Amino acid sequence: MADNVEEIQKSIKKYLWIGLILMVFTAITVWLSTVELPTHGLNILVGMIVATFKAGLVALIFMHLNHERPIIYKVLAFTAVFAIVLFVLFYFSKQDPLVFEGFYSIPE
Amino acid sequence: MSAAATTHDHAHDHAHDHAHDHHEPGFLRKYVWSTDHKVIGVQYAVSGLLFLLFGFFLMLLMRWSIAYPNLPVPAVDAIRSIPIIKDLFESMFGRWLNPDGSLNGELYNMLGAMHGTIMVFFGIVPLGFAGFVNFVMPLQIGTIDMAFPKLNMMSFWLFFVSGVLMFWSFFVGTGPVQTGWTMYSPLASTTGIGVSNVWQHGHTWWLMAMVFNISASLLGSVNVIATVINLRAKGMSWLRMPAFSWAMFVTAFLLLLAFPPLEVAALLQLSDRVFGSSFYLPTGLMEGGKHLDISGGGSPLLYQHLFWFLAHPEVYVLILPAFAILTDVIPCNARRPLWGYKPMVYSMLTLGFLSFLVWAHHMYLTGMGTMMSTYFQITTVLISVPSVILLTCLMISLWGGSIRFNTQMLFASAFLPMFGIGGLTGLPLAFAFIDLALHDTYYVIGHFHYVVAPGTIFALFAGVYHWYPKITGRFMSDKLGKLHFWPSLIGMNLLFAPMFIQGMAGFHRRWYDGGKYFENTASMSHWTTSLTHKIGAFFGLEIPDNMLSLNIVMSFGAFILALGQIPFIINFWFSIKGGKKIESDNPWNATTLEWATPTPPPHGNFLFDVNAHRGPYEYSVPGHPADFYPQWESEPGKPVPPAKSEAHAHH
Amino acid sequence: MEIPYTVHARPDTGLYNAKIGIWLFLASEVMLFGGLFSAYIFLRVGADYPWPVWDLDVKLGLINTAVLIGSSVTVVMAWASLKLRRFGQYKLYMAITVLCAGVFMFNKSLEYSAKFKHYAVKLTDGTILTGHLPEDDHHKTIPYQVKFGDITALSLTIPVKNSAVTADPASYVVPHLEGEPKFKTADGKEIVLNAASFAELRAQALAKAAADKKDSASVQLTAVSPLKAAAKPADIFGYTETTITFRDGTVATGKLIDDKMTLLVDGIDTRAVAQPEKSLAFDQRYLAAWQPTFVANRDHHIAEFEKHFPTRDKSKSATLQKESLFLKLHSSTPPAAGEAHGNKHGAEAHAPAEGGHGHGHDYPTVVLEKNDVTFFSNFTPKLNTYYAIYFTLTGLHGLHVIAGALVLGYFLVFNGRMMREDPEHLANRVEVGGLFWHFVDLVWIFLFPLLYLL
Repeated sequence: MADNVEEIQKSIKKYLWIGLILMVFTAITVWLSTVELPTHGLNILVGMIVATFKAGLVALIFMHLNHERPIIYKVLAFTAVFAIVLFVLFYFSKQDPLVFEGFYSIPE
Repeated sequence: MSAAATTHDHAHDHAHDHAHDHHEPGFLRKYVWSTDHKVIGVQYAVSGLLFLLFGFFLMLLMRWSIAYPNLPVPAVDAIRSIPIIKDLFESMFGRWLNPDGSLNGELYNMLGAMHGTIMVFFGIVPLGFAGFVNFVMPLQIGTIDMAFPKLNMMSFWLFFVSGVLMFWSFFVGTGPVQTGWTMYSPLASTTGIGVSNVWQHGHTWWLMAMVFNISASLLGSVNVIATVINLRAKGMSWLRMPAFSWAMFVTAFLLLLAFPPLEVAALLQLSDRVFGSSFYLPTGLMEGGKHLDISGGGSPLLYQHLFWFLAHPEVYVLILPAFAILTDVIPCNARRPLWGYKPMVYSMLTLGFLSFLVWAHHMYLTGMGTMMSTYFQITTVLISVPSVILLTCLMISLWGGSIRFNTQMLFASAFLPMFGIGGLTGLPLAFAFIDLALHDTYYVIGHFHYVVAPGTIFALFAGVYHWYPKITGRFMSDKLGKLHFWPSLIGMNLLFAPMFIQGMAGFHRRWYDGGKYFENTASMSHWTTSLTHKIGAFFGLEIPDNMLSLNIVMSFGAFILALGQIPFIINFWFSIKGGKKIESDNPWNATTLEWATPTPPPHGNFLFDVNAHRGPYEYSVPGHPADFYPQWESEPGKPVPPAKSEAHAHH
Repeated sequence: MEIPYTVHARPDTGLYNAKIGIWLFLASEVMLFGGLFSAYIFLRVGADYPWPVWDLDVKLGLINTAVLIGSSVTVVMAWASLKLRRFGQYKLYMAITVLCAGVFMFNKSLEYSAKFKHYAVKLTDGTILTGHLPEDDHHKTIPYQVKFGDITALSLTIPVKNSAVTADPASYVVPHLEGEPKFKTADGKEIVLNAASFAELRAQALAKAAADKKDSASVQLTAVSPLKAAAKPADIFGYTETTITFRDGTVATGKLIDDKMTLLVDGIDTRAVAQPEKSLAFDQRYLAAWQPTFVANRDHHIAEFEKHFPTRDKSKSATLQKESLFLKLHSSTPPAAGEAHGNKHGAEAHAPAEGGHGHGHDYPTVVLEKNDVTFFSNFTPKLNTYYAIYFTLTGLHGLHVIAGALVLGYFLVFNGRMMREDPEHLANRVEVGGLFWHFVDLVWIFLFPLLYLL
């Protein structure tokens, strides 16, 4: 955490800039969602990448994660892994690539 | 336990003076609305023990129905003649009993669901985790209290409210939930939805109680982790921290990160029930031949995913406190250092991490897909490795020790083989192809009861006997303790071992009649059933030579277990005033910091500047005058800690 | 006795207690919203109906996003001002932050209330009609009710043991009856049915049941003069041509007068229909006049799509599906032929959602036969899994906004003394509260595109 006066003074400007960038990227997100990409899944992917970038800015700059203590990083890393596991496994339990058609085919 | 603080040792009068400098808080502030971690710990532990007893009572009713289906419950008439108890019994259970006083399937389902819920969420976790962690952990890491004392009080009272709500669900219109402790949708989303009023249905109360319980757990675990990270005493580096605190630290992480998805599951189910949404209800769902008035589009699988994402780590929340307690009890009573402290710590961390990645091995039967099943089989087999390391380290710690077989050590040493049985019988269940056959049979029930009953609960008993002197200043009786231990050990095994046999014979866990009305059971014989038959014949009892005979064995075991708890209850309450007084603050000659405090520890805990000079398990150090070398002693010649100046003590 | 490290950081960890606490809490919050987002993924991947895209009021969502981002900036500025001991600025920024929370919640309430007044009806062939219920002269919505007449008898059942469904006519029957509920009991006494009179009957019936050793008691009542009843379908268990079953199990015998549903249609969604142009919505009784408009609109959008993306699979474009098969209605009669529906992508998509009352008379009115309707709901969690997860996610997020605003408001209003005497402590508090606030913003950054845009 920036604790001395000069650093905080410097970062005030930074905060305002980041706020502006976030606003701009929000507009970009809205615009991107109206662009017809080859599949809608691609739209979602692009939208999520922009959102992740924005979320990253908030976390790094506003929440001071760009200079935090190691133990916080460790806790958050584990949390992130588990959250991603949730997303991925929930997705694959509906989109299982290994399906043996033969098992489930209805006899004629 | 209000009497705890009244027992004063003369050696610690200075502790008393110390307390007088402060404004003396009233009884309510001191023992009810207390922010002191020790009082909160005792509050948790006592309510946990009471809930365990209550859950156990539910189980006894179930076991009666399994062994003697459609026969009147024996004590019913007696209970119905006691004035006040009568009304309570009537509105909780009596109104569901058959006219002749026997159980029916409906009541059996309620008992089963509430037994599971209460034992897991209101019995073992509050006692094993919240109780012990609150009392012991801050002492062990040498601090004055938890990091957020007010939050600590709040989490206890949230837990208390959740307990009241859960208990209340017995009294509402349709009675408590009947859908098993897992509350699987769509059954749990739709049962009783037609009652005139959602608040008349126990399920709504169950969900609300769980939301409170989860909030309590979250606040509690934030507190535990922050305390361990930031409030360790001077010299108490991570690898000088007792394995007890390590295990509790990992457990707190499991609670912190696994409970929120259950909160989501509960919220979505509440939404399904109250707002009529379809999170867990597939399109075209019918009930009683009628299409339900729902949009559909959801899936029961979603509920199971969210539920088991909590409920599997929850299994480790149940077992890690047991390991935690044993890592203190076993080295102390074997007078030997803990074997493999570092491997144990790393195993606990690995166990904690992997426990988040194995949940769907409870769901092989849902048809969730081949890749998912494959993945979860692999991770499930992986997680057995750290579990085995933990158990092995504890066992090797006994090697070459000079063991004191006091009550806590008896429970601790019984834990090792019992947990071993529980763990090893779990291995086959990790494989989908075996699980497909054994799913929801008594085999599974036997497996996890061996883990949590003679496993975790034995360890919790060991913990109660071990720290009781520190809380009250008096020992629990060793004789009564042995009278508690042996019937418990025999009862547990008679109760749970036959489950494996019945389970492999295909007995389903939800048969309220124990399989009596399934004809094929009559022809299934096994050497254990023949033996039961012969023993019965010797005593002039007519026990059939088939699987049903095991129901009688198990219920007999449950009865012995029940009798075995009477000495414990007597011992627990009477030793507060009548137990043998302790002679020193460190009655077990232990090495960890909680034994350096006055007994009982005053508000603020320590009377000297705490400094951990060495690791936590320095027993039988070669060349050391005594067979233990406590963490707080700076050098062998200075056994008494230097008293802290009064002026300093207040800041 | 004081807990160490409440204000100043512990040297080796570099953290004060509250900061560890808030980060751990946020970690569990990540898992909470992680669970909800994974539920979103699961429901969306497994949805068996077209997942709504651009179905909400994007304008309001965009404003709310800007408001939250702005408040995120002000809260971090408030912390920085406090660190620099500029108390005036701190107060200003903090006040703006709390104000932003108010604006956010106000917008949210606008969005929610529009949804609650908006209805969707699913017809037997899968067509979904969206629209509003008719209004009376005072702009009050007339709810959809099943109307019964000639009610002559009530049959009430009181189970002796299980009390979950037990006769309670004062709460569940009388409110739906029109006129004074005068009944005759079996022994010829005339009563006005209410809680007190029923309690008497109930006691008598239970005594009789106990004497007869029966499981349930029953009370039969005959109406002095035929009564009428009207009830929302959700308030009763069910009905047939001649009976109506109330939620307490009471069965009334009478005659069904009307169970038709009147709807001012503002949208025809035929995405789930095999032959959209032959949808039940274009039946002669309903919206046959709109069929040419529908076909023209569909062909127009398909032609546009083919012009821009000649190689792509039309069936895989969610936007094309929506634009071509989900017709939005803006007037009570179809536009004259030739008026093209060439609106740009999405620009008209959210019109129905924000078309509140007052525009009601601009839409065509249909009177739907009960037999043609399989399901209806207003835009609440009941409507479909998308709205269910939308309300859960935004509702829970809204609760977080309220909680955060309360905490920050508390610091602003009640911590004035701490600001002057121990500004470092207050700065810590503001930092911790601010971390929570940023997290709320961070969740919204994902919610906005997932629910409103994609």
